[in-house]
Amino acid sequence: MVMSLNQLNLSRHGKKILQDISGEFAGGKIIALLGPNGAGKSTLIQAMARLLKCDGNIELQGHNIATYSSEQLAQKLAYLPQHSQLQFPLEVEEVLSLATLPFSLSKLQQRQQVKQVISDWEIEPLAHKDFRQLSGGEQQRCQIARTYLQLSNMQTEGRGCGLWLLDEPSSSLDLQHQQQLQTVCRQAAEDGHCVVIVLHDLNQAIRLADEVWLLKQGKLVAQGSAKEVMTEALIKQVFNVSARRIDDAGDHFFVFS
Amino acid sequence: MIKKLLVSPLGWLIGILLSLGICIGALFLGSLDTHSLLNSEIGHNILWNIRLPRVLLAFVIGASLSLAGVMIQSNVRNPLADPSLIGVSAGAALGAALMIVAADFVDIQAHYYIPVAAFIGGILATIAVLKLGRNDMPGGMALLILAGIAINVVAASLIGLLTYLATDSALRHITFWSLGSLASANYFWLTLCSIALLIVCIWLPRQHRKLDAILLGQAEANTMGVDVKRLQIQSIVFVALLAALAVSACGIIGFIGLVTPHIGRMLIGASHRYLLPLSFFLGGSLLVIADGVARTIIAPAELPIGIVTALLGAPVFIWLLVREGRRLQW
Repeated sequence: MVMSLNQLNLSRHGKKILQDISGEFAGGKIIALLGPNGAGKSTLIQAMARLLKCDGNIELQGHNIATYSSEQLAQKLAYLPQHSQLQFPLEVEEVLSLATLPFSLSKLQQRQQVKQVISDWEIEPLAHKDFRQLSGGEQQRCQIARTYLQLSNMQTEGRGCGLWLLDEPSSSLDLQHQQQLQTVCRQAAEDGHCVVIVLHDLNQAIRLADEVWLLKQGKLVAQGSAKEVMTEALIKQVFNVSARRIDDAGDHFFVFS
Repeated sequence: MIKKLLVSPLGWLIGILLSLGICIGALFLGSLDTHSLLNSEIGHNILWNIRLPRVLLAFVIGASLSLAGVMIQSNVRNPLADPSLIGVSAGAALGAALMIVAADFVDIQAHYYIPVAAFIGGILATIAVLKLGRNDMPGGMALLILAGIAINVVAASLIGLLTYLATDSALRHITFWSLGSLASANYFWLTLCSIALLIVCIWLPRQHRKLDAILLGQAEANTMGVDVKRLQIQSIVFVALLAALAVSACGIIGFIGLVTPHIGRMLIGASHRYLLPLSFFLGGSLLVIADGVARTIIAPAELPIGIVTALLGAPVFIWLLVREGRRLQW
């Protein structure tokens, strides 16, 4: 078990943002968080990354998350935020190299890893560009690559499986790179890591995720395997849209009216 | 190529030699010719007891304000931030004004105590800003910035009151102190400011990757293992120390802490591994040059150095604002 949540509650300005959220995240799985806007998906993922304080208990690899130092936490989980906020002229290569910050790597190892990730993610043309000058999609790809590099080091350094938290990673990606993201998520799960991903695309979720958490107004409405949870009735209940689920030779997708 | 040179031993040697060259040039700049300076007793006195501590103090303070500027801009993630944001300059000015005005009412030799009062004022103002703005860290620096503005406004109001109560000579003294001058430079202040700069120069380079991570965002930095809150507090303490000592030694010198990091970023980018050493040499050299201009342009009188840095820095600041606006498509 990578992470377990027990009765998480968070209120802000008198409004309940998360209500009694409990559940477990296992290594080797891809878990999708789905829900309408304001459901609490980003808040939940930020709480899991210890960026927000909330009532309840979060355990990471068997220990209370509050007991980890910042460095120890970064050696066990990697977090991709929704938006990039860089206002200063850093090169893409310099941004990627920050993924090695929590780990005790030599300068040579850092350079080799950065070179490898640039090659694997096909971002050679962007490596020496100012990160701010990239398109939204390019920035997102680089940030995904950065967090993936951080995740890769978790296994390398024998720290057990890591937790990869992705907040709407595909919102700016084109089709090709959305597929690349899916491939990378599956690879991370095969390597034993736990991937928690916030998605809006139901078709992406049903194809990619092993488990789905459906959230609405801060509450966990349903939780389980993607095929079991993503029923027409529950989709209607949570999203207030009519969707027809088509199951065809093991493949599943939604059509919206 | 330039980046690799900057952090190599050769790069450091070039930086030291260039800075040394500028300092030596400034040393011999003035109405007295080099022969008189080197071969007469009065020339020796001027060179070793007046100009040398002044030029070296200019370099140390320029480097200090420049590094303080880098630290504050990186921690608040705003390229238009300045060390005075944390209230240290306003607090120091208030302390100095209080001492100058008090000297008219109480029989004390104010010029001995002005720097002490300025230092205490600067530190107290920073503590007030930290107390007011602390709850917001590290979620965002917005409250800290607002606290800094509030303290600046309070200090400005009190200075206004003191100028109203001051005699003509005290008023003139406050005005000239606020404009900044290295004319009172001596080895005591040089030693004090150098020690503070040395402490920061030992600590700061070790934080260069953490400061890079903070530039990405506080959430990203936290999840990359940076204890953001601790780093921000440490940075603000060092900014306050450097700025308070600089203001105590020579009054308020503006724009160095704001503009020098920008020039550095334009040349070398924002990676602190390269920006910190470049800002160190650039800030020090710029202030030495500015001081050279200040004491020679209307010789034998001197222009307050704050006026020179403002006249040079303000157009650069306006240009930076316009450039940032274009980039953000305001």
